[in-house]
Amino acid sequence: MTLLVDLFGYLAIIIHGLTIVAQSMAVGGVVFLACLARPRAWLLGSAGEAILSDTIRWTRIGALGLAVAEAARLGLDGAVLVGTLGITPLDVLGANFAEAGLAKLIAALLLTLTVGISRPRLALALQVLPALAILAAATLTTHAAARVDNREILLVASFLHQAGAAIWIGGIPCFVAALARVTHRAEWLVIGERFSALSMIGVACIAASAGTLWWFYIGDVAGLYGTAYGVMTSTKAALFLGLLGLGYGNFRAVRRLRADPDAPVTRLKRFAEVEIGIGFTLFFAAASLTSVPPAVDLGADRVSLTEIAERNMPRMPRLESPDHDNLTLPALQARLDAEAAAGAAKPAQAFTPGSGEIPARNAEDIAWSEYNHHWAGLFVVAIGLLALLNRAGIGPARHWPLLFLGLAGFLFVRSDPEAWPLGQIGFFESLRDVEVLQHRFFVLLIVIFGLFEWRVRATGWKNAGAALVFPLITAIGGAALLTHSHAIANIKDQLLIELTHTPLALAGIAAGWARWLEIRLDGCGQRIAGWVWPACFVLVGLILLIYREA
Amino acid sequence: MRISSLTIALVLACALARPSVVQAHAILMESQPAANAAVAPGAIALSLRFNSRIDAERSRVTLIGPRAQASDTRAGAEAILPIIAAGSGEIIVATATLAPGFYLLRWQVLAVDGHITRGETRFSVTPGK
Repeated sequence: MTLLVDLFGYLAIIIHGLTIVAQSMAVGGVVFLACLARPRAWLLGSAGEAILSDTIRWTRIGALGLAVAEAARLGLDGAVLVGTLGITPLDVLGANFAEAGLAKLIAALLLTLTVGISRPRLALALQVLPALAILAAATLTTHAAARVDNREILLVASFLHQAGAAIWIGGIPCFVAALARVTHRAEWLVIGERFSALSMIGVACIAASAGTLWWFYIGDVAGLYGTAYGVMTSTKAALFLGLLGLGYGNFRAVRRLRADPDAPVTRLKRFAEVEIGIGFTLFFAAASLTSVPPAVDLGADRVSLTEIAERNMPRMPRLESPDHDNLTLPALQARLDAEAAAGAAKPAQAFTPGSGEIPARNAEDIAWSEYNHHWAGLFVVAIGLLALLNRAGIGPARHWPLLFLGLAGFLFVRSDPEAWPLGQIGFFESLRDVEVLQHRFFVLLIVIFGLFEWRVRATGWKNAGAALVFPLITAIGGAALLTHSHAIANIKDQLLIELTHTPLALAGIAAGWARWLEIRLDGCGQRIAGWVWPACFVLVGLILLIYREA
Repeated sequence: MRISSLTIALVLACALARPSVVQAHAILMESQPAANAAVAPGAIALSLRFNSRIDAERSRVTLIGPRAQASDTRAGAEAILPIIAAGSGEIIVATATLAPGFYLLRWQVLAVDGHITRGETRFSVTPGK
């Protein structure tokens, strides 16, 4: 069961991220319903009813999703507590977080049932109050609830932060659905102007509360780059700025529409789609943030600017591999084998897959990992450059996806040196280790992606719907990197590695949504986006090339 | 289907990343006895102060020892100690009567906001301290 405590951290972040997404959609949907869809329906003609119906559906989906995610979260945390402490599930339900979770779950279920009610007073009581209850309960599971000092002001700021995110980002799915229902300039304006006003209120809530949270949780600039909490906050700020840029673009599009009836409106919809994606990514970053201690609590072992600069100073890539026999586990296994042979006994295993233990690492292990990253970087840079050449119209470069097969083979052999084919642990036995299992799965994905992409390039296969799979998977990949791993009590090496992964994730997210815009936009915007994503790909490769672990 | 190579790059980055570790939310700010300190034998108050308020009812402190040497990894005697909350809820306290030797104090705490964290601290009991 203690192993479960170790492993459940990542799963808990994923569930928490889904909880924030669903919570924002539910609350944002209620706000959209109360401030736009219902009061403005009469201005939208026949589309008004359809928009109302869409908003109710999205809000219900959000509320239902919230109930499911919250139940999963309670179940997971409860299982760990019951398993490790030997207490009953009833005891777990007495905990503050469980009471707050149950309140959120009940409010969400109530909302799924009542969101369709249109009578004003009933709607206020049975939609707005559950939405407020959801936000209040969510606030009780933030850092603020457990703080020793300044608890009240932090609770207010956390409430405001979540409310702002729900009003703005949580309302965008309803906004996009509404835009899809209208065709006349006057209707675009009704929806665009009202949602712009709502968005500004949301942004103001986020900005004001973020300042307060920054002051009490980070405190100084050194905390911003020197701790896991600060780095993740900076990442959130970068995503927030990206969202603001897109929001400002939409604000200008609405103003142009007012002045010029023939102004194009496609960009408004496409930017809003991207806002959903980046906004939801931001929610996963926020979920990740809740699992690390605030920067102000970590006075020692912070990473300095000098250490960051030193670690990221470009050096020649390590293109020569260390000897496999000198790695920690093979060397230990060789010693155990020799001892066993001397005593005519069966040798013990240096490492048991699935034990949950993280083996010690020596300098050779670090060199092995860096070598893997650097060669992978070379592959990725080569693929990116060929993709750019292909974009420039050089036909033979279209076969670049074949490089994936070489990359997959390289990773299959190198990523887990203790396992087959290089190590003594058999292929199937090694799959009991979660990390090895992940690596094998990723290798399989690389082979599949490579073959698919090569088929697209080689045969010109076109499928508009399937084309959106790439940006979505890329964006999910970026979000997964953001939530991947964090330092325990600020171990410097862990944080320095995380500092490398963060720009990788941001480059991936930018590329994914640039590709989305290339597919969904037309004209100049499409052309620009078409160059951006391969360039981001090259950037990912370059970052891998300077990656270092010591 | 048009699936970009960048997807692979991100997958690759995940694949190359080091294993995830325990998410640490409630961190130990101070302990009595302090880490690796030596104290005199007898009745000892063990206290742990965290950066978050702790749900003491749903937390656990386990004392392992005495061991002959600090590096001794054999399990030794293991006792779950009753704990009470102190301060504003960020301190948990337990008492034990200890014989000379090396001890390991393992803790698993539930922060009030719902995060579970565990860790350990070591100390020794030495006559004459």
